[in-house]
Amino acid sequence: MAGADDAPRLAAGSTVFPVRIRADLLVGVPAAAGAVVLVTAAVDVLDPHVPILSLGALYVFAVLPVALFFGTGLAVLVSVASMLAFNWFFLPPRHTFHLRESGNWLALTVYLGTAVVVSALAARARRRRQDAEQRRAEAHALAETASDLLRGVDLEQEAVRLAELAGGVLHLDAARLEFGEVAPAPGERALPLAVGLRPVATLLADERAELDEGVARRFLPALAALLAVVVDRSALESEALEAEALRRSDALKTALLRAVSHDLRSPLTAILAAAGALANPDLRLGPDDREALVGAIREEAARLDRVVGDLLDLSRLEAGAVDPHRELWPADELVARALESVGDEGGRVIVELDEGAPPVLVDAAQIERVLANLIGNALAFSPPRSPVVVRVEPGTTELRVHVVDRGPGLTPAEREAIFRPFRRGTAAAGAPRGSGVGLAIARGFTEANGGELWTQEDVAGGHFVLALPVAARPVGV
Amino acid sequence: MSGRILVVDDEPQILRALRASLRGAGYEVDTAETAEGALTALAVNPPDAVILDLVLPDGRGTDVCRELRTWSRVPVIVLSVVGDEDEKVAALDAGADDYVTKPFGIDELLARLRAALRRGEGAGESVVEVGELRVDLEKRAVSVAGRPVQLTPHEFGLLRVLARNRGKLLTHAMLLREVWGRGYDGESHYLHVYVSQLRRKLEPDPARPRYILTEPGAGYRLHDAERS
Repeated sequence: MAGADDAPRLAAGSTVFPVRIRADLLVGVPAAAGAVVLVTAAVDVLDPHVPILSLGALYVFAVLPVALFFGTGLAVLVSVASMLAFNWFFLPPRHTFHLRESGNWLALTVYLGTAVVVSALAARARRRRQDAEQRRAEAHALAETASDLLRGVDLEQEAVRLAELAGGVLHLDAARLEFGEVAPAPGERALPLAVGLRPVATLLADERAELDEGVARRFLPALAALLAVVVDRSALESEALEAEALRRSDALKTALLRAVSHDLRSPLTAILAAAGALANPDLRLGPDDREALVGAIREEAARLDRVVGDLLDLSRLEAGAVDPHRELWPADELVARALESVGDEGGRVIVELDEGAPPVLVDAAQIERVLANLIGNALAFSPPRSPVVVRVEPGTTELRVHVVDRGPGLTPAEREAIFRPFRRGTAAAGAPRGSGVGLAIARGFTEANGGELWTQEDVAGGHFVLALPVAARPVGV
Repeated sequence: MSGRILVVDDEPQILRALRASLRGAGYEVDTAETAEGALTALAVNPPDAVILDLVLPDGRGTDVCRELRTWSRVPVIVLSVVGDEDEKVAALDAGADDYVTKPFGIDELLARLRAALRRGEGAGESVVEVGELRVDLEKRAVSVAGRPVQLTPHEFGLLRVLARNRGKLLTHAMLLREVWGRGYDGESHYLHVYVSQLRRKLEPDPARPRYILTEPGAGYRLHDAERS
């Protein structure tokens, strides 16, 4: 009978899938033996009723399934085993391997031929099925890759997944994918993915891994073509992104130039006109007119100074060159100093202080600027003579200063945009004065001091909240 | 010189400086800070001339100009800034008479204002003289230093429009429309060619024109003797 000791010989014949074959034999050999025993038993049962020679055909039922499921090798063994069993048990003289009639030889030859033909057919079908499955896996892998890549995923991230996918299709363990032409590390083999002469990527696998060359020749160029498209697209995209960034920076510069030209030219116009009038001997100027002209020159010169200061601060903030000198300061002192710098209009400001408010750890000059800009903004964007409220609210880790006005407030879209340079609220038609950088500077200084500045929704009007860090421990105790 | 001037600008200090200067020059001064305020002031108390900023908080000076021109011929001088040439030309096309660019000297503004006011009075003269150039609009006769000059019909048409609006800045579109008719608004090259022909016939030194002056990016004007 076909024994288990035949198995190693069979396995040695196949080098491509040795592990799988050995696993098959563990099932195949007992199954084959069982099939022969089963058919022999059946023939024994039927022997008294049917002419013995025709019963020999039953051994096809042992040979056929083995040929189908376990391949030619085992099927040939089964057919030889079947022939020997039939001869030994049933053909006269029984219990010998001698044959009395030549017809029996013919029968045995037929069984053997059947076994070989059937198993060859079955093996071919099996190979075709495997091949079809392989191709389906390749096509599936390519389609999946295409849809993933064309959807625009990150190339470097995708490399890991692609390597797994390609490894699966090519039956390679521990494959990795790198873009461009890469030299293999020791113990690795490199499979170049190229379109024509252009290397797109390299698939790196274990040196010892068996590679199905046919599959590799078919699958790798397709994958390479796909990757080439995606690499090109990704390059174009990053070029487009760069162009967009440049365009934005140009737009910012244009906005800056426009703002600067307007903000510098308006005061210059007033100064030049006033100075020209004062210098013109033909004009008959009364004392009031003279005073008005001198006043215009003074105030506009001061405004010019503020605009230039704002622009300098903005450029320092954008360059990250602000170095706060942080000390402990009581909030009421900061508010008082800010109010002083606001000028006469500051009379409209109602201050609500909290006596228990902890001191804050900030650069006084910078936070004073922040408060002055917030208060100045509130005054400019609210109706004349309407109050502006500055409310100080203590907390445990931060102190909040609310600046609330009765102006038109901000739309949700404006609430964040307003902190960018040269943006003004759209409702600001009545009072678009100032350099358009005051809030950008306020936020810049706030953040440099470890604080936060934001707008809060408020039906009453504009509402800004400035949160400043308080000292970790109370001072003076 | 006297008269009432409406100054429209949203910058309080510019208003303040102009009010004092214009008063010192003998004008009465009204002010407005918005487009709406300007139109109201123009309707309620019509001034003799308007000084109009092109950028107003509630609209464009150009629109004020266009609206104003539907019912008034009051001279308008617009205040523009460098970099806003298109808006300046649009305002001139909409009926503004002249412009000054911010920042401007008060003397320049006063000179333009005088010229604009004078044009309002002197309309309808049949003979225009600029230096040695003499244009008789009724007889269609042109002479330089007493020597007659022959002009083609289009050349004379162009000179006539300039002479009738002596001192006023005329945009390309206005000149093309007046001389060649509607539909030629965009054909600026016609204009450049005819202006250079005219200069060759009229100017003592065509490379340094004294009579027909170019306002870069805006248009042409016939020299106004008073402003020299």
